[in-house]
Amino acid sequence: MSRFFVLSLNGLTQGAIYAAMALALVMIWRATQVINFAQGAMAMFTTYLALFAIDHGVPYWLAFLVALSSGLILGAIVERVIVRPVESAPPLNVVILTLGLLLFLEALAPMLFGGQIRSFPPAFSIVGLHFGNSQVAFSPFDAFTLGSVLAVMVLLLVLFQKTDLGLRMRAAAFNPDVSRLLGIRVGRMLTLGWSLASLVGALAGVLIAPSLLLYPTFMDQVLVFGFTGAVLGGLDSAVGAVVGGLLMGFALSYVGGYLGSDLETVGALVILIAVLMVRPRGLFSRHRLRQA
Amino acid sequence: MVAVHSRLDRLASRTLGGHLLLALGAAVLLLLLSTQIGAYDNYNLTAVAIFAVAAAGLNLLTGLNGQLSLGHGALMAIGAYTASLLLKDHELPVVLVLLLSVLSTGLIGIVFGYAAARLRGPYLAGATLTLAVALPQVATRYKSIFGGESGLTVPPTTPPAWLGPDFPPERWLAWIAVAAAVVTFVLLANLLRSSAGRAFRAVRDNEAAAALAGIDVARTQVLAFVISAACAGLAGALFAYWSGVTAPAGFGVTLSLQLVTAIVIGGLGSLAGAVWGSLVLVFVPSLTSGMASTLNVPSAIANNLPLAIYGGILVIAMLVAPHGIQGTLTRILTIGRARWGHTPAGGQKGVVDWDDPASDP
Amino acid sequence: MLEVVDLTVAYGPVVALHGVSLTVQDASITAVLGANGAGKTTLVRTISGLVRPRAGSVRLDGRELIRLPPEEIARLGIAHVPQGQGVLAELTVDENLRLGGLWRRDRKAQRGALDETYELFPPLAGRRHLTAFSLSGGERQMLSVGRALVARPRLLLLDEPSLGLARRALVQIMGRIKALVTERGLTVLLIEQNAKSALSVADDAIVLHLGNVVAHGPAQKLADEEGLRHAYLGF
Repeated sequence: MSRFFVLSLNGLTQGAIYAAMALALVMIWRATQVINFAQGAMAMFTTYLALFAIDHGVPYWLAFLVALSSGLILGAIVERVIVRPVESAPPLNVVILTLGLLLFLEALAPMLFGGQIRSFPPAFSIVGLHFGNSQVAFSPFDAFTLGSVLAVMVLLLVLFQKTDLGLRMRAAAFNPDVSRLLGIRVGRMLTLGWSLASLVGALAGVLIAPSLLLYPTFMDQVLVFGFTGAVLGGLDSAVGAVVGGLLMGFALSYVGGYLGSDLETVGALVILIAVLMVRPRGLFSRHRLRQA
Repeated sequence: MVAVHSRLDRLASRTLGGHLLLALGAAVLLLLLSTQIGAYDNYNLTAVAIFAVAAAGLNLLTGLNGQLSLGHGALMAIGAYTASLLLKDHELPVVLVLLLSVLSTGLIGIVFGYAAARLRGPYLAGATLTLAVALPQVATRYKSIFGGESGLTVPPTTPPAWLGPDFPPERWLAWIAVAAAVVTFVLLANLLRSSAGRAFRAVRDNEAAAALAGIDVARTQVLAFVISAACAGLAGALFAYWSGVTAPAGFGVTLSLQLVTAIVIGGLGSLAGAVWGSLVLVFVPSLTSGMASTLNVPSAIANNLPLAIYGGILVIAMLVAPHGIQGTLTRILTIGRARWGHTPAGGQKGVVDWDDPASDP
Repeated sequence: MLEVVDLTVAYGPVVALHGVSLTVQDASITAVLGANGAGKTTLVRTISGLVRPRAGSVRLDGRELIRLPPEEIARLGIAHVPQGQGVLAELTVDENLRLGGLWRRDRKAQRGALDETYELFPPLAGRRHLTAFSLSGGERQMLSVGRALVARPRLLLLDEPSLGLARRALVQIMGRIKALVTERGLTVLLIEQNAKSALSVADDAIVLHLGNVVAHGPAQKLADEEGLRHAYLGF
């Protein structure tokens, strides 16, 4: 099997995870104009919670649900307790706030769950599938990763585009003042936006944990690549986030495969700068309507 | 209000001579201090001076010019590697090493500055953050030049003979760092009073209005970036001497984020804020780890408590003192003066704004 | 139905309303007139909860509205058509209209109200699935008013509906609103700079000048007072 094909498959799976992280960041950006640097740390925390559940004899799928639902709750708490009070503060203050939360969670996790590096079980085998005599570098777990990211994205799409709740959430994000005049409880919508975003982040966490191993900073890199993907796509666009995340996955896989793994991030930087020099607001930005 | 006005007038009349005098006073005090404290405290004093230089540069870029950089640690790395490469085969005077590091980082800053001037807000943040992640990997990749993961060792600077044979090298390094910081601060303070400083602020406040007023926005942003990079380069070179080894791990994303933290906690847009911020960066972690080690708790908790407290402090500080230490002090002083209607004569070391407090956002 | 008592609003040191009082009768149109900067928009923004007053009270059927957030005030049946940029430009025309009545949670009635609005404003019907961004100024104003009507409000706050609207469209909208007042008992507070046209549809009117009420009474009576017209109403 050609090298290119292997790298592409690998890039696709990694890209799906970066896309999920990018989507989480974009959802929060669109709802509250905040870059949530603690997104990765929050996902790390919920993954630890899932592992904690597994350690206590909870079956994998239930633990999976623990991760997702604790993501929902954690997102709501963070928005209500930490982000809401600084709603009108300068953007940089909110950046520092999320950085503070990142450090806090990364310190809290080892206190609660122990500091040693842990392995996290995959839902399915991570051994490549067999087709006839040949084995491809694509495992059942990779298929599960792709499938679940895709499923969550479709669900979100349906929620935002087809339901009244989604319509309210979009309205609240676009124009909170007008939305309030229309009787929309904007505060709740923003909380819900954070909740859903951190659910997506939590999904990324449990999906990447088996291949990265679990330690307090294991999501940092995923956050950076997800953020790069989001910026690449254009922070205002959910489609952009997904495309940007996938692009990051492919690019990192090719750079790593052909040029050496220690150049991965340099490759990411070069691509990002190249794109931003041509389109300073990302690939899918629409220069219009509203200044951020 | 009257008190505020007289204060502004007083500040406006402070000239190069005034800055120099103040700086000289601060330098003498710090040098005297360094002779009274031990090696460990000199080491910390050096760290404060280094971070103050880097944070002052970043504050110029972010606080005064409005460009958020999450990659300043990478610029420090450029300074540090320049210094380390220079010292690899030659014995060069410290001043020359520092100047060349400033030069090389400044030159690279021109390239980055042009790219940065096209980007705004979170897009600039994303690009600089990626820079912070990527640059250390270059050092890992080109092992033969940069020494890979283990990095390059930097020979310590030996105190000159006229200081005597027993002069502690930590104190000598502290002197160098303090001198470099004082020179940097004097230069920056004067820059901020100049038309360039006003242009920085004008661009931050409203790009369109600045452009209408005849300011070349892109050029102003590049200039701010270059000056800021030069400061980071100087700090990086000092950092190389200070740590004795220049390795990729020392310049990770954490360093960049720490610098941003320093200026926001210290006070955005003021040079004094950079000093406060670097004090926080150096002393809060050592205080909290001291505290944690005296507690009788399991090591998993004791080891992580400092970081948890640090993170908690950041969150709480942003909730209760959104203008940082300097901004809060300025407010308290302004209110106090307005209430008691007098102006304390001098003697407010450390609380002096070297630039215009009215420009604080 | 709506009672405003001694309302004082200030933006920092600038006082926008000095103890303004007014009463809006059930099923009537009350016009608020005055020049730019008289405090008209501040008044409606305070009623709908977007602005917190320094003192005074706003009561809807005896219920105090001050301190309620805008979304809860809207849910009491007060629809506010803001001046200018009231539409959500990123959303489609249909989505904008749907938003108007979402809080009622009565899907059937909502569908009916939507169809009615499209009948009332045919230009909107043809652009149902386009984003509001693509609409002209007049069409946006129609959308904004239509969306407020979808909520089937008890009290409608109209802030300068004539802005950007063609005369014909304005007459049509006001005619429709007038009909709702008589047929369904809708109550309207109409903010207008164009005093002449506002007085022709209103039952009562007040005139604001620099944050003070300088005249109030039946619309016809105010329209007949020449001195007042010259001094404050400009016609």
